[in-house]
Amino acid sequence: MPAAVVMDKAALPLDGGWGWMVVLGAHISIGFAYATPKALSIFFKEIQGDLMSSYSDIAWISSIMLAVMYAGGPVSSALVNRYGSRPIVMLGGLMCGMSMVTASFGSSIVYLYLCIGVIGGCGLALNLNASLTIISKYFHARRPLANGLAMAGSPVFLCFLAPLNQFLLERFGWRGSLLILGALMLNCCVAGALMRPVLTPTQKKLKEQTNGSTTIKDCHIKNVKQFLDFTFFKDRGFVIYLIGNIMFIFGAYAPIVFLSAYAVSQGVDEYYAAYLLSIMGFVDMFIRPGTGLIANSKWIRPRVQYFFSFAMVFNGICHLLCPLITSYPLLVVYAVFFGVGFGMVFALIFECLMDLMGNQRFPSAVGLVTIIECVPMLLGPPAAGLLVDIYGDYKYLFLMCGGVIVTGGMFLFIMNMYHYHMLRTSADTEETRQNSTVDQGQANVSEVEMQAGPETDPSETKA
Amino acid sequence: MSAPCMHPSCLLLLLLVVCRHAHTNLVSVTENTTVTTEPPVETLSPITPPVAPLTPLQTGQKSVVLTGENHTEKVEVVNPVTLNLECVWTGDNKRLPNITGYWTKDGKTIESSYSNTQLQNDRYYLRKEFSIMSEEDLGTYSCIFGPKAKVDFILAAPYLGEMRDKPIVSYVGDSVVMICKMDEKKSKPINWNWYKHNGTSKEKIEVDSPGHRYKITKDEKKTKLVVHNLTESDSGVYFCGAVYGIGTSMGHMQLRVITYFEPLKPFLGILVEVLVLVAVILLYEKTGSKKENQSGPEGNPDQTSNLSHGENAVADGHSGTARQRKV
Repeated sequence: MPAAVVMDKAALPLDGGWGWMVVLGAHISIGFAYATPKALSIFFKEIQGDLMSSYSDIAWISSIMLAVMYAGGPVSSALVNRYGSRPIVMLGGLMCGMSMVTASFGSSIVYLYLCIGVIGGCGLALNLNASLTIISKYFHARRPLANGLAMAGSPVFLCFLAPLNQFLLERFGWRGSLLILGALMLNCCVAGALMRPVLTPTQKKLKEQTNGSTTIKDCHIKNVKQFLDFTFFKDRGFVIYLIGNIMFIFGAYAPIVFLSAYAVSQGVDEYYAAYLLSIMGFVDMFIRPGTGLIANSKWIRPRVQYFFSFAMVFNGICHLLCPLITSYPLLVVYAVFFGVGFGMVFALIFECLMDLMGNQRFPSAVGLVTIIECVPMLLGPPAAGLLVDIYGDYKYLFLMCGGVIVTGGMFLFIMNMYHYHMLRTSADTEETRQNSTVDQGQANVSEVEMQAGPETDPSETKA
Repeated sequence: MSAPCMHPSCLLLLLLVVCRHAHTNLVSVTENTTVTTEPPVETLSPITPPVAPLTPLQTGQKSVVLTGENHTEKVEVVNPVTLNLECVWTGDNKRLPNITGYWTKDGKTIESSYSNTQLQNDRYYLRKEFSIMSEEDLGTYSCIFGPKAKVDFILAAPYLGEMRDKPIVSYVGDSVVMICKMDEKKSKPINWNWYKHNGTSKEKIEVDSPGHRYKITKDEKKTKLVVHNLTESDSGVYFCGAVYGIGTSMGHMQLRVITYFEPLKPFLGILVEVLVLVAVILLYEKTGSKKENQSGPEGNPDQTSNLSHGENAVADGHSGTARQRKV
């Protein structure tokens, strides 16, 4: 036991150096993952005209891509656990590139669903999961900042892909644009190349063990267990996080989808209404690393879960106040605050999971979280759209989304207080038990962990 | 498009003359232009006046009150019509009792139109009747009060809905769909025609031309031209014409047909860039780790499974550096 502890101490995350290149790689990878489904919508009108189908049929391409990206989480986690991040991100990049290139030759809508939606979605799922995992391996003290910088990839790439797609569309039509977009997505392979694997000594020991003894059946059982580890549901912190996140995701995307329509209904010009989303994206770009920086500070880091719930409540209140806004300048203010809230939540969303689960369990946890989040993500905008259709008024949409998000935030806040209280009481009882057996190595470990961050203590003792 | 129109001239643009019966002298002068007769119908509808059954010619009226120095009014004409245009000017500071007014068409003065107008009810009036029979009669008619005030009436067949200003791009061997739409609110055309510009003039596209490459569908307010099996010679400007009683309203769009080689060039460029970057990064890692290996070899034989691209040395070197660089 002490020998393994000493080796773990030796393999502490870098928190810098090559780690920043890894953050760059993750930035690129996550950027493509979140921005591509949204940026593709620029091609839809052209594709719809050429393939002669309705707009809603075409819009399914984005939805399928997002759904597969989230649903592929557990598979991606299992692969990352087995092979590490680098080969997985490179494979993901290849799949995405191939999906776009094959889609450029398509002549039916179902073919596009398969190429872009399924294959592209799988590629993105591999990218997303692996990128998040490698950050947790490279950073500990500066992890919130690294997460914020990596997640900032989403608005940065959207800002960059949207006008680029427009330009490509005008020069090459949608087929040529998809071909070139495929080549651009191959840059995820470059991102993957940056993700140098980190092999800790304990992992090496595990490999030595598994290479020899286990039978094939045991291997399979272990694989299935790694695939969808349902023991996570016994973890109180995980369940709390999951419920709060489901509520957030349900209400998060609908305001984005309907913002310009709402602005137009209030009498704003279509062109200016489209600007609102750009403003939101622009603000988001800077807020994410900023939030990471704040979350890294001495005062916030131990209480990062509370900061997360604050961010959620802030976001929800923004939406609740939106129906009161009817003029364009105030809508711009709303878009700015929306960007702030949205960016804060997304900068912290995976950091909080890492904080709860710790390095070992994070890959599997994030896979499980994304596949469950698939459901509210797909249901949210249509449910909101239904509200608009029934009542003919956008205000109920904002009230519903704001209400759900605020409830989620308050739920997280209260339940986290309860969770930490329970952890403290159980940690106290365990300490009194262990203090009776004087163990020098154990004291060393507690010192090291306290330096890293007091709140990580409970989760690490569990692992 | 959907911004709230606060300016009065905005409202004016949306009004069209209405005439159900043969009124000739109806004048209604109000603060803005108004529709002169009852039930507002958007265009001149072909109704024969009871007095002259032989000439199914309509009469219409358009009146503009000018308070500033000039104003432009768009008038949509669907069928041949006799149009009474009237300009009412509120005058300037001078309030001369008599002013010379005249009419122009497309900038050229109509000789017989000079007249002296007198101040009536504190306003100056200019009226003239125009016979709009065919496409040549359409254009811009202006009434001019002395050298100072001017109202332009732009007479035209209904304009087509929003046309693409950017060229449509398609590929050799592919097919393309070109659409022309008439606004929902405007009247529907009698027919639709498609033309292709062949360097000097417009050439009408027939559906049964050799090769059966063209397909034209005509709905009431929409028309589609489908061209199959594109070749590079199909590039160029295409016109769609909405045929009305008075003439044809044209819209145009440009088609560009390119081969697959055009997007292939940037594609290959980016591919090369990706391969170069990946190679550089991996080589840098390998040379970096080789140096570490030479300084302090770790010797860990079973490092094969986790890494691709034959980087066994890297892992050894890296774990070595991690140990050396701790804290």
